[in-house]
Amino acid sequence: MSTQSQSIVDIQGLNKWYGALHVLNDIDLAVASGACVVVCGPSGSGKSTLIRCINGLGSYQTGTLRLAGTTLGLNASETAAARRQTGMVFQSFNLFPHLTVLSNCTLALRRVAGQSRAEAEDIAMAHLEKVRIPEKAKSYPGQLSGGQQQRVAIARALCLNPRLMLFDEPTSALDPEMIKEVLDVMVALARDGMTMICVTHEMGFAREVADQVVFMDGGSIVDHAPVRDFFGPSGHPRSRLFLNTVLKH
Amino acid sequence: MGFDLAFALSSVPTILGAIGTTLGVAFVSCLGAAALGFLFDMLRRIGGVVGLAIGFVIDFIRSTPVLAWLYFLYFVLPFYGIRLGSLTVGVLGLSLYYSGYLAEVFKAGIDAIPKGQSEAARALSLSRRDALIYVIAPQMLRNIAAPLGNYFVSILKATPYLAVLAVPEMLGRAFDIASETYRYTEPLVVAGLIFLVLALVISHGVKRLERRLLAVGAR
Repeated sequence: MSTQSQSIVDIQGLNKWYGALHVLNDIDLAVASGACVVVCGPSGSGKSTLIRCINGLGSYQTGTLRLAGTTLGLNASETAAARRQTGMVFQSFNLFPHLTVLSNCTLALRRVAGQSRAEAEDIAMAHLEKVRIPEKAKSYPGQLSGGQQQRVAIARALCLNPRLMLFDEPTSALDPEMIKEVLDVMVALARDGMTMICVTHEMGFAREVADQVVFMDGGSIVDHAPVRDFFGPSGHPRSRLFLNTVLKH
Repeated sequence: MGFDLAFALSSVPTILGAIGTTLGVAFVSCLGAAALGFLFDMLRRIGGVVGLAIGFVIDFIRSTPVLAWLYFLYFVLPFYGIRLGSLTVGVLGLSLYYSGYLAEVFKAGIDAIPKGQSEAARALSLSRRDALIYVIAPQMLRNIAAPLGNYFVSILKATPYLAVLAVPEMLGRAFDIASETYRYTEPLVVAGLIFLVLALVISHGVKRLERRLLAVGAR
């Protein structure tokens, strides 16, 4: 039972149009603190658009989005403070290529959290150890493999100590043999109790750590079920059709 | 008419004496063109009527000869009460003319930065200003370093246009010697060689800089 006070994300009646295209259609979604929610669905179904709205990278036309108790968009400084509680991991890593791994992680700590260089580096190193890549602290992103870059991106997002982590297809740009090292880090994070919303097609990951699965199609949430039900025989027919195609690979 | 090496060598000090003017004009003009070009590109990004107007200005500047700008600034502006020294007009003319080109350099340099970079900066709650200073500007500088260096060479080679305003730059000095002695070959060859050496040295420096910038954090 997730009441509003326990929900870190509470979305009601969210709608977004690109011109005539209805990309988010009346989305209702509540995510409880500590939950791991996997969002899946065919491409163009609005998954990425939805999680980009949650941390303010994307806009929406109607509906309300409460993040950590703050309704986004009412007050600029409160909105900024709420957004600061989220960390985001992108499909294409988006590390800063001109900065070392360590500087990628310390930039926001120093400029946003206002910490000293030494403090920031201590925090960054702790997170780089958590994602098992401390030895690359002095390397540049271009010198790392895709899997390593994505783990650094996770560490960078964790540095600001977010209460909610958003993952936008974090393994879709990776070679198969690198997917596991990133998923392992995400599994460990979920087991640590981090609240996570993950757009991913990694159904093995969903089975292992997700509490709920949200299935989207055509801008709507078609199915939103506890993970056991989602994969169970009584699952939504549209979800089952999708699972059959995804799991075949 | 042979090539008199002794005469050529004797003209070297006089021509080299103007190397400071040539390099100084090129350097200040390049700075001016870069500042103006950056401003143009930023204004163009506002879009709408302002963007269209600035786009037209940039195209207009690039489609007119440098000499037209120099003559205009030097001979037409005084009719409107604006009387500028020949050196000022020279630097101003070159700055204006090359700003049209450098606006395009900035455009390409900024557009080449993936959108994900500013999104990552926003996701990390960096302010707009911090994102510009710590994320966008360093990558833009890396992208524009080589073309900017090449335009510096172009501007350097355009400094002889200032001879029409009697600015004492290298080719002008060479031509003065030629006019006085009626020997054209040697001073012109000497001036040409000095320009050649300058251009080669600068190009080489730009290439090395580019390699170093690319080596740091290669994508």
